[in-house]
Amino acid sequence: MSKHTEQTPDRRQLLKAALRYGTLGLLGATGGATLFPKQKSAAQNTVWQIDPEICVACGNCATYCVLEESAVKCVHAYAMCGYCRICFGFFGPEPLDINEGAENQLCPTGAIKRTFVENPYYEYTIDESLCMGCGKCVKGCNTFGNGSLYLQVRHDRCLNCNECSIAAACPSGAYKRVPADKPYLLKKVDSAE
Amino acid sequence: MNTRSGTTNTKILIAVFVAVVISILAIVKLDTTGKKGSGLGKEFTYDLTDLGKIDPNLILYEESAPAIVTGFSVSHAIAVASDGSIYIAGDKAVRIFAESGDLLGEIKLADTPACLTVADDGKIYIGIKDHVEIYDGQGKRLATWQSLGDDAVLTSIAVSKKDVFIADAGNRIVHHLDTTGRLINRIGGKDKDRNIPGFVIPSPYFDLAVARDGLLRVTNPGQHRIEAYTFEGDLEFSWGRFSAGIEGFCGCCNPVNFAILQNENFVTCEKGLIRVKIYDPDGTFVGVVAGPEQLVEGGSSRISEFGPDSQAGGFDVAVNTKGRIFVLDTIKNVVRKFTRTSPKK
Repeated sequence: MSKHTEQTPDRRQLLKAALRYGTLGLLGATGGATLFPKQKSAAQNTVWQIDPEICVACGNCATYCVLEESAVKCVHAYAMCGYCRICFGFFGPEPLDINEGAENQLCPTGAIKRTFVENPYYEYTIDESLCMGCGKCVKGCNTFGNGSLYLQVRHDRCLNCNECSIAAACPSGAYKRVPADKPYLLKKVDSAE
Repeated sequence: MNTRSGTTNTKILIAVFVAVVISILAIVKLDTTGKKGSGLGKEFTYDLTDLGKIDPNLILYEESAPAIVTGFSVSHAIAVASDGSIYIAGDKAVRIFAESGDLLGEIKLADTPACLTVADDGKIYIGIKDHVEIYDGQGKRLATWQSLGDDAVLTSIAVSKKDVFIADAGNRIVHHLDTTGRLINRIGGKDKDRNIPGFVIPSPYFDLAVARDGLLRVTNPGQHRIEAYTFEGDLEFSWGRFSAGIEGFCGCCNPVNFAILQNENFVTCEKGLIRVKIYDPDGTFVGVVAGPEQLVEGGSSRISEFGPDSQAGGFDVAVNTKGRIFVLDTIKNVVRKFTRTSPKK
């Protein structure tokens, strides 16, 4: 009887066991979330996208993505572009000269290429391998130009996390779930004013 | 036994304490809402704050009276008649205000007006998409001219006696008609033989006016200048240059609108870095009417924070015979009145 009594766990042992297994469980959950953040969404028929009419190009897309290189890139609505000689998505606000010199460019990574079309028009293209989605050119283009440069989640890179860390950090609520068969929210010519 | 139990309790307490500290640190350090910003360096931020600041000594005007609230949800253009009445085109109407701000009348339209002018005879010429409609002072439609083409985007009208000039941003040309709507010629088309480079209009801002010297003035925003043409279409001269500095026109395409004062000075409006400035007839910078700090809520620090107001900022401007300047704020849809304070020139 007394032996049986010794084997019965007292309240303190029960608490210790609960704490031990609880901690293990918590560690497991945290570790799992840390190690496998790239699980595909349960909602396989939708993907994340940025609504360009709501986006404020805050720069969070460049740093909040779980990928080392953000899945968000600048894209260009060519039909909206003015093909300006002095494009303020390409040049800084006070360029030293109007040429492609790095010191005149707005993009910190030189991801926008400027190509002469005919006097006085130039075409601007995005080198996605250099673009990090900071949105600096988007601000310049929207402030002064037609807003033809804008940010989009590129689905050849995006892991479509259930809880997109950029969406959580988006100050304007521009991130949306969109149908996977229409994964981009593209600007149209009517968007230009 | 008691000692062992005490040691265990101490360990548990330490573990709980450490867990609490880690949790607090995690809550403090982690930013799940993005409110702490991107963490990007200065080279990644777009900051026009310094450019938006204007030397107070250059500002020659002050806002002299409360703004006129147009009541429009979208406004496009302003004109001042010879009697001083202020005409505003917006939504699907033209509203007429006294300088005091009292609403004098309204002309309802079938579509959104983009531009307008009031001729000396009181007739109101209104540009709607691709055509012009003419109304009398009582709001009765007198004529509807035929379309100027599928690609026509009318952005400005000027009337000088029997001549009507219509700026067409879609076709990058000025249509010159008589007051019956008959086409006389087209002005400003690219023509190497006449040494006319052509208009560069990246966005639908393309303004014109007839100056007192009898020449037509037309903006060429993509070239950052104002050009002077004869009514026959000869390019006489031009002025203006690109510069982020106050003396030039900033951005990809400016000025967007202008008006001509009685003393023949020009009042120009720029978008992006919203500035209203004065130039003499030769294009020499005279001074500033108002800059971003006066025209944009929150001052210059807000000018690049686009959002619902994105792409707004193509303000229009008109003047009256007393030299007062009326700026149509297309973000707030109000008319702001500026009066000169320190005549230096």
